[in-house]
Amino acid sequence: MRDFLLGLAFVIGGGVVIAVAQTYPTMPALQFGPSLFPSLIGGGMVIGGLVLTLTRVGALKSAFAGPRSQASKYDYRGLLISLLPCALIVFYILTSEWLGAAPCMALSMLVLMLLRGAKLWLSLLVSIVIAAAIYLLFSRYLLIPLPEGILLSQLLP
Amino acid sequence: MVFNAQTMLVIVAASVFGLFVGAIPGLTATMAVALLVPITFYMDATPAIAAIVATSAMAIFAGDIPGTYLNIPGTPASAAYVGESYRLAQKGRARETLGTNLVCSVIGGLFGTLVLVFVSPSLAEMALNFSSFEYFWLALLGLSSSIFIAIGSRVKAFLSLTVGLLLSTVGLDMMSGAPRFTFGVPDLMAGVNFIPVMIGMFALNEIMMFYGSRAEARSVPVMAKDSVFASAPGHIRTYWRNILRGSSLGTLIGALPGAGADIAAWIAYAAGKSRSKEKEKYGTGHIEGIVDASSANNSGISGAWVPALVFGIPGDTITAIVIGVLYMKGMNPGPTIFMNGGGQVYALFTVFFVANLIMLPIGYLAIRASKVFILTPRKLLMPVILSFCIVGAFAINNSVTDIWIMLIIGMVAFVLARNDFPMAPAILGLVLGGTLENSFMSSMLKSNGDLLAFFERPISAALGALVILIWVLPSLIKLFRRRRGTPQARPEK
Repeated sequence: MRDFLLGLAFVIGGGVVIAVAQTYPTMPALQFGPSLFPSLIGGGMVIGGLVLTLTRVGALKSAFAGPRSQASKYDYRGLLISLLPCALIVFYILTSEWLGAAPCMALSMLVLMLLRGAKLWLSLLVSIVIAAAIYLLFSRYLLIPLPEGILLSQLLP
Repeated sequence: MVFNAQTMLVIVAASVFGLFVGAIPGLTATMAVALLVPITFYMDATPAIAAIVATSAMAIFAGDIPGTYLNIPGTPASAAYVGESYRLAQKGRARETLGTNLVCSVIGGLFGTLVLVFVSPSLAEMALNFSSFEYFWLALLGLSSSIFIAIGSRVKAFLSLTVGLLLSTVGLDMMSGAPRFTFGVPDLMAGVNFIPVMIGMFALNEIMMFYGSRAEARSVPVMAKDSVFASAPGHIRTYWRNILRGSSLGTLIGALPGAGADIAAWIAYAAGKSRSKEKEKYGTGHIEGIVDASSANNSGISGAWVPALVFGIPGDTITAIVIGVLYMKGMNPGPTIFMNGGGQVYALFTVFFVANLIMLPIGYLAIRASKVFILTPRKLLMPVILSFCIVGAFAINNSVTDIWIMLIIGMVAFVLARNDFPMAPAILGLVLGGTLENSFMSSMLKSNGDLLAFFERPISAALGALVILIWVLPSLIKLFRRRRGTPQARPEK
């Protein structure tokens, strides 16, 4: 079922790539323009997606015909939890300029550690120490301009 | 010039620095070398070069450490065989795997150095004969191999490849300058960087898998009898041909301007699998799978110095930085370096030998210390890795766009990996996509659109024939087996 849907997604994605590629300007002096490779890749996605979809049609029919036990067993809670690291990355992107890279990292690590049942004092200690170490290492030693944030810029020299 | 306290101390310090940078996902050997350049201003020529050689060699090996324990390659050069290393670690053979990796890396590095010393001028001359036609076929050869070496469905491997190729088209078109798939984001004009994609595909994907599974049990068990070097001599005896082939391929590919250790590892892994008597064991944690590629990526580093020294043309990004340092130290790269550079060139060769040999003790200590990956509970380790991923992706261009790229690619990779799509073809598609398109376009311009020009040059024609053979060989073998199988099947009926 999932392969069938992914195959369809590739067909649609390939179609969109081809459509977008057709809008690229062509150069009169060249036989092949900037649209050639994206169009070929889009074509490959459509063909590959179609093959994947068509080879799963049989499995799809039997899935619909049979009992729906597999679908109900699907771990949706696990899937949602697996998206939490992504949500924390978005949190970092949106707030690090204001909060600072180190507090954002510490907060993200703390949430993830507590989620998996680590002790509060240990989670607090590890997340604060590691966040401070990463910040100092990257910004002071490797000279990568991690955002200091309003809080840190007032505390640090 | 080499065997004095200052240079030896520099080599040891640079090796430790390379070890640290290489073991962190997102920080590459190139970045380590770039960070060293300001420090080399204050050094003499020999220790300056020694620092660069030792750092790059150690960083390439160190990339295997997180790859083996966490399935997250530290550097792109380890990505080719990370699955193999990780599955071996899951069987309780992490130290054995890393020990074999280390020995193969040292042998590969020494082999590349011998080539650098003895045949560099002729090898560089051959590498310079490669034009856009040959590069096109070489890129296509790598991409075709990625589908045929993939474990599982070839359709899924092909679709995974298209994802990587599509990513490689993002940015300004080489010929027309037209922006493609940039969506008005200025940071995307220069294209999608390989590092955030690799972090997303391997590291973020792995973190998401961990939180989705709810399993806290160690996926890499600790075995008391797992020794670093005990099995290495046996593996070397068994797979000496693989080491030789991987080292030769690595040196050759490393010597091609613009190729380098990353591509060398992929192609050596593919070559190893295609020649193996135990192909079915690949992808399940097979030591043979890491022997070819781990010797290739270290020999590729030495190979990349061949065109850099002989012609002043960088073989990879590291040697591009090195050429600048060489000029700064008064060693002008080019054919005359062997005449004018004299003693310093031979000191450079000696540095290569010392830096590769010193990897053994330092690498051994690093492998012993890397037990921290096993002993640290994953509920504490994974959040720390997530922080390194964010900072590592940001550090490439000091841009938040790269964190977005890592995030989006990580989510796509998570969906694809959960449905048994292999990740390796996508990575290779991104690495080789630009070379494929640019060399095709350049070739078409040179030949006024004549496709037959791809078969007119001898090396190009040979590579083209090899690619076509790879495409049709599985069908031919199937046809041949069916023909042979039919008469045997008849009596059964």
